Amino acid sequence: MLGTAGCDAPQKALWPVTGLPGEAKPPFTPPGGGSIDLATHALNRLTFGPRPGQHERVLRLAKREEEAVAKFIDAQLAPEKINDDRAEFRVRRFETLALAPIGEFYEFQPGLLREELTRATLARAVYSERQFQEVMVRFWSDHFNIDLSKGDCKWLKPADDRDVIRPHALGRFPELLAASAKSQAMLTYLDGRANRVRRPGDKPNENYARELLELHTLGVHGGYTQRDVMEIARCLSGWRIGRGLFEVGKVQFEPGLHDAGAKTVLGEAIPARKGMAGRDDFDDVLRIVAGHPSTARHLATKLCQRFIADEPPAAAIDTVAGVFAKTNGDIRQTLRALFFTDEFRAARGTKFKQPLHFIASALRATGAESDVGRPLVNYLVRMGHMPFEYPAPDGYPTRAEPWMSTLLWRWNFAAKLGQGRIDGTRVQADRLARRAGGMAKLAAHLLGRRPSDDELAAAKASGDALGLMLASPSFQWS
Amino acid sequence: MKQARAHLHGNGDLQQTLVVVFLRGGADGLALMPAVGDDDYHRVRPLTAVGQAEAIRLDDRFGLSPAMAALEPAVKEGALSAVHCVGSDDTTRSHFEAQDLMEHGGHTGGGWLGRFLRFREQATGGALAAVALGQAVPESLRGAASATAMQSLDDFSFSGGDAFVQSLKQLYGGETGVFGARARDTFDALGRIRNLHANEYSPAHGAEYGGDRFGRELRLAAQLIKARVGVEAVTVDLGGWDTHLSQAPLIGPLLRRLGNGLAAFRQDLGAAMRRTTVVVMSEFGRRVSENSALGTDHGRGGAMFLLGGDGAEGRVIADWPGLKRDALVGPGDLPVTTDYRDVLIPLLRRHAPSADMARVFPGHEAKPLGQAVEAA
Repeated sequence: MLGTAGCDAPQKALWPVTGLPGEAKPPFTPPGGGSIDLATHALNRLTFGPRPGQHERVLRLAKREEEAVAKFIDAQLAPEKINDDRAEFRVRRFETLALAPIGEFYEFQPGLLREELTRATLARAVYSERQFQEVMVRFWSDHFNIDLSKGDCKWLKPADDRDVIRPHALGRFPELLAASAKSQAMLTYLDGRANRVRRPGDKPNENYARELLELHTLGVHGGYTQRDVMEIARCLSGWRIGRGLFEVGKVQFEPGLHDAGAKTVLGEAIPARKGMAGRDDFDDVLRIVAGHPSTARHLATKLCQRFIADEPPAAAIDTVAGVFAKTNGDIRQTLRALFFTDEFRAARGTKFKQPLHFIASALRATGAESDVGRPLVNYLVRMGHMPFEYPAPDGYPTRAEPWMSTLLWRWNFAAKLGQGRIDGTRVQADRLARRAGGMAKLAAHLLGRRPSDDELAAAKASGDALGLMLASPSFQWS
Repeated sequence: MKQARAHLHGNGDLQQTLVVVFLRGGADGLALMPAVGDDDYHRVRPLTAVGQAEAIRLDDRFGLSPAMAALEPAVKEGALSAVHCVGSDDTTRSHFEAQDLMEHGGHTGGGWLGRFLRFREQATGGALAAVALGQAVPESLRGAASATAMQSLDDFSFSGGDAFVQSLKQLYGGETGVFGARARDTFDALGRIRNLHANEYSPAHGAEYGGDRFGRELRLAAQLIKARVGVEAVTVDLGGWDTHLSQAPLIGPLLRRLGNGLAAFRQDLGAAMRRTTVVVMSEFGRRVSENSALGTDHGRGGAMFLLGGDGAEGRVIADWPGLKRDALVGPGDLPVTTDYRDVLIPLLRRHAPSADMARVFPGHEAKPLGQAVEAA
């Protein structure tokens, strides 16, 4: 099953994770500036944190820093061109993730599915070369939040992650939205499958319709009314998930459960449609909400909050919303525009890392070798940031304040990692310091700038410079 | 007082703690809270019924089994409330489904306790807000802003040495605003954790916990609460209640363990019990009639206890339909006349007035507790 091209391929395939035996981990040059430079800033925001040597690799992409960073951004915006075999090799052992068709998921213990999906998420955050893709997968997983612990979601979310979020994470928003709307997991999580109108006058289930407007598209102040919610619920009635022998897990339209009457959605008339024609309501609704100006603004605001600051400058939102609208929701072009705003460039070190980002960035910065097992995952539970476990439809907050009470576990994690006391995760602290060129350089690598005298003195006094820098105030921000 | 409250966040001087004891397996409500004053009780449980004289009296209708005699002082002092015919709307009578539904707080994702801790004005508590005693965090705590599964105090330690903490203090010394405040709270918590480890724990007021696991876990819970490290919710499991076969010899020791553990905990906490409430619940009750193996099968309405503290005023809450055949549901089960969420809501409100109950129990239409009883 291993690759056979080239005579050294089989051997390489056996060692894609740790590198070939004897493969040297070379010295590297950490950032040397007194403040965070543009390359570190881009690495902080587009990835889960720089690895040893990654900063200088970015700078080497072009003569001028500006150009080099632009090249790095463009490369990350085209993940399909980035070879990611090493990370995929790590993820391949989580066999349940590759299951197809969806009905097969029901054969598995939910606990196993949860564990494999969580571990794969962490493994990719730490080891994938397609870092920005992973960052956006997390963003959309919150935007289209699905809690594994609701009903059948425990069986259905792995397919949603694989077939809905990942393929569209850097695609076009209308396609992502449509895929999400017909995702088995979403139909379950927001009760779309329970939205049935058997006879005129039946009240449809409006749970999904409301969140579609409030969270997924227009935003809570996006200018819709309760009537729009009801009308959309009527339009989307009749979609269900098959249970029969050959249709387990298939999303089907059932005309007998659909409200066939005429509707008006956000001022646009949708004609009465009989029988199977009723399914066209779905396309109309999604076209109307995805293309609404409030949707461009809502998405732009959320993206700016994630990538610029908790309270992003209005000028940046205007720019990003404009590109989103003009490109009909092209996610790459929208984000590229965001990364080239002055506001993005100026906002260095202003975002508080969510716990998963903190852990991944620590493992990446230290070049840790981890099996991403339970001892590591437990830190996510302690810090309240288990993927796919946010208990409400709005997804984990990106703002700083809700996460600031997690310092105790961050410090504990940093100290344990520095001491090599997290089972299944290995860091070679001394070797890393040697590769960086001493303690001060190691600190510069971890902070993305030269350490202050105070930081250096504290690092020396602490007895564990690596752990201390990971626990330091600066490392909590990106 | 007010100032102290505003300053404290994440450490526990004024924090209230909720201890949730889940009786796994479907605990028999008629064993937890025998209807000694109802003639039909003695008719339907001819072999195992508790006599009115030997029961710990709750009111004219109900008592506690003598196996739970350790709780008699709590009953007399009005510190125990007992609820009968309580449960969820689960009708599957499956342990897995019913536990999930009850711990999630409805047909929804995440646990009710997790949402309670997350959706408050002060969005999250401290890093040690929720502790699950045992190997894993239970469903009720899913989605909590912080949850630590804990088997011993070692799971609750800080790995950095003195020099490390000193260096951290230097680095965080200059931080201001919310970030600086959270850092100071965290240093405070570190100090308390250190004291926790430095001192051998001995329960106060002569409290004696049994050597069983439940006793050990409650002892640990008391230790954490008294150390004021910011614990707002503790979950403890007590299993073994699935008594399909010869219930009497099985359930006696369980009731004793439950009663002794809770009594020791209350005694140990002393005055701290005023800001602590223990909730005892189970996924469902059991069949009224015994089966041919002298056991009982899965039923519907069961019993719940509140021990406190805040929220337990020594009430008996029971919209009691009686035990006549036509009062029972399904194959002969006590109906659920009180929704368990309606028992929890007033309690949670007292613990955190800002908690949004519509988010803690989505889709649940709350009913005032005991209204039907008072109307009757």
